[in-house]
Amino acid sequence: MTWLIWRQHRTEVCVLGLLVGMFGIALLVLGTQAHDLFPGGPARCAGEAGVNEACAASFRRLDEEYGYVENLLAGFYLVPVVIGAFLGAPLLARELEDGTWQLAWTQAVPRMRWLAAKLAALAGVTVTLTGMFTAVLTWFRQPFDAWEGRFQYDAFDLEGLVPVAYALFAFGVATAAGAILRRSLPAFGVAFGAFLAARMSVALLARPAYATPLTTMEPVPVGGSKDQAGHWPVPSFADWMIEHGYADATGRRLSWTEYYELEGAANRAGANLNQFLHARGIQQFGVYHPADRFWTFQLIEAALFIAVAAVLIGVVAWRVRRRMI
Amino acid sequence: MTATEFALRADGVGKRYRKGWALRDCTLALPAGGVIALVGPNGAGKTTLLRLVVGLLAPSTGTVEVLGHDVTASTPQTLSRVGFLAQDHPLYKRFTVAEMLRFGRACNLRFDQGLAERRLAKLGIPLDRRAGTLSGGQQAQVALALALAKRPDLLVLDEPVASLDPLARHEFLQVLMGAVAEGGVTVLFSSHVVHELERVCDHLVVLNHGRVTLTGDIDTLLAEHRLLVGPRTATDVDRAGTVVEAVHSDRHTTLLVRDGAIPAAPGWQAQPVALEDLVLAYLRRPSEPSAAISSGVAA
Repeated sequence: MTWLIWRQHRTEVCVLGLLVGMFGIALLVLGTQAHDLFPGGPARCAGEAGVNEACAASFRRLDEEYGYVENLLAGFYLVPVVIGAFLGAPLLARELEDGTWQLAWTQAVPRMRWLAAKLAALAGVTVTLTGMFTAVLTWFRQPFDAWEGRFQYDAFDLEGLVPVAYALFAFGVATAAGAILRRSLPAFGVAFGAFLAARMSVALLARPAYATPLTTMEPVPVGGSKDQAGHWPVPSFADWMIEHGYADATGRRLSWTEYYELEGAANRAGANLNQFLHARGIQQFGVYHPADRFWTFQLIEAALFIAVAAVLIGVVAWRVRRRMI
Repeated sequence: MTATEFALRADGVGKRYRKGWALRDCTLALPAGGVIALVGPNGAGKTTLLRLVVGLLAPSTGTVEVLGHDVTASTPQTLSRVGFLAQDHPLYKRFTVAEMLRFGRACNLRFDQGLAERRLAKLGIPLDRRAGTLSGGQQAQVALALALAKRPDLLVLDEPVASLDPLARHEFLQVLMGAVAEGGVTVLFSSHVVHELERVCDHLVVLNHGRVTLTGDIDTLLAEHRLLVGPRTATDVDRAGTVVEAVHSDRHTTLLVRDGAIPAAPGWQAQPVALEDLVLAYLRRPSEPSAAISSGVAA
């Protein structure tokens, strides 16, 4: 079986391996240069950036010289779906469209053993390739993460455990779609669509609700710049701010219309906005997940996608076992 | 008779797809040894029945026993006793012929690589060619060599020559019959071509509209059936319930009867019937079988 699986899927495995290898080496080269900006390590430097001029300069250079790579990396959220769907779609669909399932399942290897071997091998390749790519990418992003935190979409979705779970999810969707549609290309398309839909809805709707967010609330300071954006009251820049705004003295949250009315009133009175707000007891609040929830959230999201993948693979196994194909 | 003397036993087998029944109330007992032809028009359920026999499908009703074992068990031992050549003889198109043989070796308990190589060498099929670049006839031969290298006790072939040109068809049947002559293998194949069957087959199963309409040893069937030709008669000719088909011309009535050796009525002439005419007569019968046949089948 090992030889057969390799012979049947070596093209996909080689192409994907080559792509992952190329991107991996490019990231390693660029990443080594970026890491060299921080002789003491980016994490320590991030802590000292306020006081250490050299560290601040390093982060400026990082942004200027490697910021474009970081922006490009955001597109790499598609890597898991490419790997998973490319390996999963043809697993059954190619046999079904070529009629070779009749050949494969009338040899002396029982179909469930055949399926188990194929699923294990190709899911293994999916995990290995995605895992290797994610490891390199996570390492590359260390300096950026030290500065920006790991909860942003371009960090959380590309690092840690979740990319492997996304890839397994894509693998499961593509395999199941291939078993039902009996065509590789439509199965790949379905996996792609399902991946985008699931990823987007989970990231936007489900992820903020994995735990109860924390809330801070404090009076608007008298001093400070007039423009408050970016200085919302959360303990650390690495926290994940999911909502922020103003509240009145009793703690009731103000709608943005109410806030703009206050702003207009301050302008008409010719007063400093901060002092104007402070005098009326207006508070600013932030709703956020603290940065140390990163791994908890990674585990929850990975478990979610792996569970769906397991259900889909279960459907495939059930169909094959019941000889519905 | 022990169970293993039957190559195939089907008991009340039906297969239902989403669109409806492809096969109903199929009860068969086919002897081991010899060549069995499964005949029927397109869409009669031949492919469904053969896939049930090799365990690619599971029956919706009833049981299928092959060589004494329930096929849905699908153990390596039972699988290795049955060879299957699917319609259009699928191969892994990007494998070379040698890799197809390696596939056979890797996936079977017993695989006679030497036998397959000898067969292919005799046909002049190079081992280093990709399967997809071979002609249709050569692909069929590779698929047949693969199936025969398993040294199966039962070889099932679905429309093996339907897509081949006359020359390739002849060569294919020659190889197949050669393998049968070497002995030990029961061959079950489907066809919608009726002529030439008599020369090749020992046993016949006629399938129409998802039901078995006729099954039996070919010599016995030919001995049981006669054509009776007599003056045209409008009266009920089926008093004995043995008339398979009645054809009326201006002056004559021709009856196909299944009556063994009952003497013909005065004024009637009895003639033997050709196998092709016999099969066609059964295929022309209405889709709902007569009570006699369905009750016999549902036992």
